[in-house]
Amino acid sequence: MPKLEIDGQEVEVANGTNLVQAAEQLGTEVPHYCYHPGLPVAGNCRMCLVEIEKMPKLQIACNTRANEGMVVHTKSDRVLRARESVLEFLLVNHPIDCPICDQAGECKLQDYYMDHDRQESRIPLESKVSKGKAIDIGPMIMLDQERCILCTRCTRFLDEVTGTSELGIFERGNHCQIDLFPGVMLDNPYSGNVADICPVGALTNKDFRFRTRVWYLESTPSVCPGCATGCNIDIHHRSGEVFRYRPRHNPDVNSYWMCDEGRLSYKRYQGEGRLLQPVQRAGEDWQPIAWDAAVGRFVDVLKGDKRIAGVISAQSSNEEIFLFDQLVREQLSGQVAGHSWSPEGASSDELLIDGDKNPNTAGLTELGLTLDARKIIDSALAGEIDTLVLYGTDLTQVCTVEEIAELGDKLDAAIVLDLRYGPSLEIADLVLPIASYAEIEGSFINRQRRCQVLGRSMEPTGHSWPGWQLLTKVAGSLGAPSHDSASAVFERIADKHAAFRGLTLAGLAGLGAPLGGATSGDG
Amino acid sequence: MSEKILLRHEDVANLRELDVYVSDGGYATALRVLKEREPEDIIEEVKASGLRGRGGAGFPTGMKWGFLPKDNPLRYLCVNADESEPGTFKDRQILEHNPHLLLESMVLAAYAIKCHKAYIYIRGEFAQGAKILEEAVREAVAGGHLGEDIYGTGFDLDVVVHRGAGAYICGEETGLIESLEGKRAYPRVKPPFPAVYGVFGAPTIVNNVETLCCVRPILERGAQWFKTIGPEKSPGPKLYCVSGHVERPGVYELPMGTNLRELIYDHCGGIPGGKKLKAVIPGGSSVPIFTADEIDVNMDFDSIAAAGSLLGSCGTIVMNEDTCMVRALRIIARFYRHESCGQCTPCREGTGWLERLMIGLEDGGANDRDVDLLMQVADNMMGNTVCVLADAAAMPTKSFVTKFRSEFEEHLQHGGCPQRSAEAMRASAHA
Amino acid sequence: MAVEFSKESKAHFEEILTRYPKKRAAIMPTLWLAQKDFGYLSHEVLAYVAELIEESPAFVASVASFYTMYYKKPMGRHHVQVCTNLSCALVGSDNIVNCIKEKLGIGLGETTPDGKFSLDEVECLASCGTGPMMQIDDDYWEGLTTEKTLEILEKLAAG
Repeated sequence: MPKLEIDGQEVEVANGTNLVQAAEQLGTEVPHYCYHPGLPVAGNCRMCLVEIEKMPKLQIACNTRANEGMVVHTKSDRVLRARESVLEFLLVNHPIDCPICDQAGECKLQDYYMDHDRQESRIPLESKVSKGKAIDIGPMIMLDQERCILCTRCTRFLDEVTGTSELGIFERGNHCQIDLFPGVMLDNPYSGNVADICPVGALTNKDFRFRTRVWYLESTPSVCPGCATGCNIDIHHRSGEVFRYRPRHNPDVNSYWMCDEGRLSYKRYQGEGRLLQPVQRAGEDWQPIAWDAAVGRFVDVLKGDKRIAGVISAQSSNEEIFLFDQLVREQLSGQVAGHSWSPEGASSDELLIDGDKNPNTAGLTELGLTLDARKIIDSALAGEIDTLVLYGTDLTQVCTVEEIAELGDKLDAAIVLDLRYGPSLEIADLVLPIASYAEIEGSFINRQRRCQVLGRSMEPTGHSWPGWQLLTKVAGSLGAPSHDSASAVFERIADKHAAFRGLTLAGLAGLGAPLGGATSGDG
Repeated sequence: MSEKILLRHEDVANLRELDVYVSDGGYATALRVLKEREPEDIIEEVKASGLRGRGGAGFPTGMKWGFLPKDNPLRYLCVNADESEPGTFKDRQILEHNPHLLLESMVLAAYAIKCHKAYIYIRGEFAQGAKILEEAVREAVAGGHLGEDIYGTGFDLDVVVHRGAGAYICGEETGLIESLEGKRAYPRVKPPFPAVYGVFGAPTIVNNVETLCCVRPILERGAQWFKTIGPEKSPGPKLYCVSGHVERPGVYELPMGTNLRELIYDHCGGIPGGKKLKAVIPGGSSVPIFTADEIDVNMDFDSIAAAGSLLGSCGTIVMNEDTCMVRALRIIARFYRHESCGQCTPCREGTGWLERLMIGLEDGGANDRDVDLLMQVADNMMGNTVCVLADAAAMPTKSFVTKFRSEFEEHLQHGGCPQRSAEAMRASAHA
Repeated sequence: MAVEFSKESKAHFEEILTRYPKKRAAIMPTLWLAQKDFGYLSHEVLAYVAELIEESPAFVASVASFYTMYYKKPMGRHHVQVCTNLSCALVGSDNIVNCIKEKLGIGLGETTPDGKFSLDEVECLASCGTGPMMQIDDDYWEGLTTEKTLEILEKLAAG
């Protein structure tokens, strides 16, 4: 654990820490472009030059290990002069198209120029080397070669992380440019990451381009709902609309990356198809119904000596699963099963993409549910069930169209709690819209049995309710103690399940934590 | 020094053929050393000789060898035969005319550092040199001087000739290593240094051709003999490349520390046509220039450094009074722009900027502040990059502008090269 | 038609692989071999080399683009390269370039319509003591005068 001094402040760092990270520990940013903690050091941008006492030349902070007794200056005159000159060099061939550049607002060239340089250009515009602009290089990415500062983050990512090397640097000197090989697109399943790590507007995300200026966006830390890996993300949103996901660093889960499929999965939870208010069946039609009345109707259907069964999907949070299980199994003595379905041939790989396209299959099993939804359907088809509650469950994933029709005949009542219109509505008597994972507080458990927290990015869509709120209200109406927050529900989970013991939602914020014990079970 | 050591082929015809080389005493040193001496002992002898690298940096060779970690048995020797510093053409003489001197020296060096695989990285343009070397390797293997179980001592050395394909930066030792690994020749950030992490991740020694060729003579005649040639702190025979405006340009083998004036006027016969000397670049185009009255300097690492330039690769370029210094610097600027690998920001952008400024000065279109700007851009490039190519472009720029500023100002005022427009006028008058 | 090495070149390629502990290191000699066989490194050829070396085509092409001696376009039968770096410029390389341009009727970077000659100016070829000089294909021609230069070109044109 070397101790060193940076700008007059002492800091103790772990062995092997470089000076960019050591300064960060003190809250000091050493400006840099090519350095990225998830990639091998390139040392080419020369922006992170710092002065180290007893060394004649300035040194790049990214490739210098913090050593015992080092005295480092990150803001000395020499350092500031070097930084200004590197910025000036970077701008020698950089176009001045910030007003139409999608990176504006999150461009490191722009940021550092405002911090350090702000001098008038000494380079005539007409002498800039011209290169390609707005080149479509793959399903996710647009390339602007003129804006590229050749930091090689993208090529290092494609060489070292995906091993696909679709992009290369061509030519040399001031004619260097990033490009594809003709006929080969940048279309690997992780291509979107290159736009995240590009420090300037050279690589931009096609899905996000020109939809909004970044300074209007809010960011909420959360977890990708795309599969069982649970990549940590930031949800970038504004006025109830998600604009993009950005991977959030978690060394134990996803490093700095996420896959393209997960990146685009936000689209499933917004826009057309979302259920906006409670409705009940009125013959062939649906009739809107107020929430109080809807809850009342739900409670009525559950009351009495009925044979009740419930199915809840692995898209639901732990809090929803727990309350659903408590309600149907404990309170109403019904049967409950979890439902975790992935399409046939679902993508998967060794890196981050899991073939289980549900973010919380582990949550179902950890909370003691079986994954045998079909058994419940079979009972229902055999006429052994009066009331079926489907929570986020698409029946076509469990039975045939004919069977769905048959279920409609066999059941006294079917209640559907869901985000979206879907085939399950065919047999529903009452439909209650619930909020998406981005609209609630709660948690998922990933494939590593790591419990991670969802961030509530926005208000529930339409008149939908957070599932835990709806379930606790119904349970309360039937005489159970109710909970006033998702955190309170999580506390109950921790009481009841040994694996969750000692954890709290607040405590899990950030990187989450592994569940305790090797297996689950009621405590 | 009348006897030629490195340029012995000038005294012995057909020395590049193995039997001629052997009958001239070739490979006798390798045989004796492999049979009789210990590797550590060779390193000590090379250290004691005071041999310093001839590639440009002048680093003590024995010390470099000593940096190899003791624990890793896998290691490589790379010969830097990528001679490309403008004004330098010495290694080519050895490669084409005395290849076995290099191979024998490689056997000795490899034995000293306990290495069994060596690569000769030869610049792509030396197609003839590569053919000659490959033939020499074949001959040497057939003759038992290279390959497996050399002289029955159990020592193996496999030598591979690897051709470059046109990139000056491969002369930088880590650029060379990257290129040898099949990549763009981007010099590596250091540390780690090649002696610890070199080619294919293994400890590697990279030595210049001329440097290595001093190893056989040192082991043949002893470190003490070597030290009797030239100054104490950088001894040995040295190849001086002289080009430009001299009567007899060429490569001269002379003791390290030969006086620059003597080199130009005595050995090379002075300036042709009774012209006056204007300037001399002593060590290849990347080093600071000397004016005519600065040439009383001894050509060894320390003396030249004390006089404000560098011995570099010893490419001495001589310019007479008619030379336009702006044009000369423009050519140098073009070269470094063309050869910048493009990796580091200050070099990639700075070399291009310098050339643009020089074009403006020579062809017209320069701005009033451009002479100052040349100095500022050069200053900002220096010392801030992975390798020294940026410095190589900046150093001549700064010294040309400082020492010949009036000529630059004149170009500025004239809106281009006054000499060239005078020539153009003369040409049109003749037409 | 897909490009493929001749039998001899395939054997040569296998020999090249034995020189290095890593396959990637065989890129440069393999590109040389490909250039000899196919004349220049078309995208097809680069993709073929990439396949042989087991690297991405972008990687191989980016390496090829770094080195000036790998041809990315078809070249004339003879590649005339005149050094115009400082030492040669001091002793008249401009005259040599101009006389070749005039003789061949082409500019720098161009190829004669009959496909016999391509002309380029190049940086220092380590022949500074015998300038002006040029390299044609694998051979150096040193101590040039305009007369000598024209003679060489005529001989090659006839041959």
